[in-house]
Amino acid sequence: MLRFWQKRALTGVVTEHREFEDEIAQIRSVLKDEVKKRFAGSLAIRMVDSGSCNACEAECNALSNPFYDLERLGIRFVASPRHADVMLLSGVMTFNMFHHVMDAWEQIPEPKWCITLGDCSVMQAPFTKSFAIKGPVGEHLPVAWHIPGCPPSPEVIMRGLLDFLRSFEQK
Amino acid sequence: MRLIARYAVERQEGLEVVTRYDEKSESVMLDRQNPCVDTIATFHPSAIWFERKMHDDFGIKIEGAFDNRPLVHHERFPKGVHPMRKEFTQTALDFADFTSYKFEAVGGDGVFEVAVGPIHAGIIEPGHFHFSQAGEDMLHQEVRHFYKYRGIEKMVEGMTLDEAKPVIERISGNESVAYQIAWQQIAAQAAGAEMPLPLRRYHAFLLELERFIHHWTDLGFIPNDAGFGAALAYASRIAEEGRRMMAALTGHRFGFGAVKWEKPRIETQGVAAWLERMANEAVWFKEWIMDIPSLWDRFDTTGRLRHEKAVKYDCVGVVARACGVPVDVRLNPFYIEHGFKMQTQAYGDVGARFKVRLAEVENSIAMMRNFLEEEAAALTPGEAEDGRYEAFVESSLGELYMTVELKGGKIERFFARDPGFVNWQALHLMMPGNIIADFPLINKSCDLSYAGNDL
Ligand code: SF4
Repeated sequence: MLRFWQKRALTGVVTEHREFEDEIAQIRSVLKDEVKKRFAGSLAIRMVDSGSCNACEAECNALSNPFYDLERLGIRFVASPRHADVMLLSGVMTFNMFHHVMDAWEQIPEPKWCITLGDCSVMQAPFTKSFAIKGPVGEHLPVAWHIPGCPPSPEVIMRGLLDFLRSFEQK
Repeated sequence: MRLIARYAVERQEGLEVVTRYDEKSESVMLDRQNPCVDTIATFHPSAIWFERKMHDDFGIKIEGAFDNRPLVHHERFPKGVHPMRKEFTQTALDFADFTSYKFEAVGGDGVFEVAVGPIHAGIIEPGHFHFSQAGEDMLHQEVRHFYKYRGIEKMVEGMTLDEAKPVIERISGNESVAYQIAWQQIAAQAAGAEMPLPLRRYHAFLLELERFIHHWTDLGFIPNDAGFGAALAYASRIAEEGRRMMAALTGHRFGFGAVKWEKPRIETQGVAAWLERMANEAVWFKEWIMDIPSLWDRFDTTGRLRHEKAVKYDCVGVVARACGVPVDVRLNPFYIEHGFKMQTQAYGDVGARFKVRLAEVENSIAMMRNFLEEEAAALTPGEAEDGRYEAFVESSLGELYMTVELKGGKIERFFARDPGFVNWQALHLMMPGNIIADFPLINKSCDLSYAGNDL
């Protein structure tokens, strides 16, 4: 264990993009009431994969590696749709996932938002519409925000989520 | 003889069923109106999914099959629709009435069923696991997948190989480089082109880098599932470094679009220094993690797959190698010259799979050093000739098999068998004797692809 703490001290903190933290602090102060009212102070995300290649998920998983450490911004991935404010949807909407996605959406308590992640969800990845694909997602769900990319990098995802929060400023 | 794949192709004369073993390929022609073929699942249990899929795709009846349930067509898929038939050209389908699926389950006093999925609790692909439980003990578990069934085999029909490339490289994000290399092997064969050595080395380098990233991701997630989060923090940092190296070399964090007919000039010094550092990190990590008894208490003897079963189920990849079955596409002169060493373990449990990954990471780093080359290189492949071509690539998950038939320069039939397609079928063998809390650990130690499987 001693070796571990040595290594730990030598590696130090690798978290990058500290400016995100300032930005969220700023957003928080502007949106204080709004975030508090709508999101109970932190944004809870239920990620649903409706037919991705898994790279979009891999980038969401990367959000919790020490370089990005998303949770420090008060944005969390939660295990149940019932704990979520937002459904983050990746991949093409497949025929076989359609009803399960709709089910998950139903389970999220109001008010709720659907954010699409990656080019697949808006049918801009190279997959064409086939008998097995019910895309784009926007035809089936009220999409509030879209984060483009194939896949969007962790930075782009963080930026996208902050911009989504920002969009309440105008309202 | 190991079964690699079984699939159907529609022809003028009827429906051809091809059975590909490691040593030979067999083929039978079936009547188009009433297609019927004998099952081979009695000898090769892994044929079950191939055969059920053939039935869904083409409407081929499997004679003597003991499992006639649909595979890729779920509860609301219209009956009697066989989308891989040439006459089927619809690009949209309506939902049919719900027909419930009969899960495999064990009955008995006090035995109950636990259903998990398709949407799981974490950030993970959709799939379904169905357990028969006696208290904490798992008696049986069935995997049900194909929630991500995107119809890719049909989607690429009628495209040229070049047109299909962006789709093929997105079949599975974890194995994108592997799928691209398989695509390129096929494209090179079709054009009668010999791949120049620097190009082969460069792509082999990228493939090892992809394995490096994927293995590190697992080396973090597996201990994390045993409650040891520090390993995840450590390993995910290294995986991220690997992704960044991939982006620095190819312009994409997952290497999408990386496999082309030319190799850029590389500044090897920086990469070599990085590899050196990664080699040290790997050694440090191994010494640290091997020394944590509480972790090995969870890993050892958990989720064991026996050698005979791994052979019987035609397993590939880490799953096979961890039970002492030495299957690896890299066992050839090109790779051996560049430092490939087969990594196996004997016991076939979570611990063995973890150790295989640890050893493979070190071996990948050693090979990457040898594959590094500064010079640029390029090849102009000629026109693609019609015919049937196949490719084998050792992806990070195991042997990937792809076959393409070209007609008039266009794809007539595309078929890919992800390593997961066979390994998923063996997962249930690892369950009996373990408690349900060990399931995530067992599943993660195999780390099979859903997207690659659910073409
Ligand atoms: S958008 Fe791109 S990376 Fe994301 S799931 Fe689709 S193909 Fe994969």
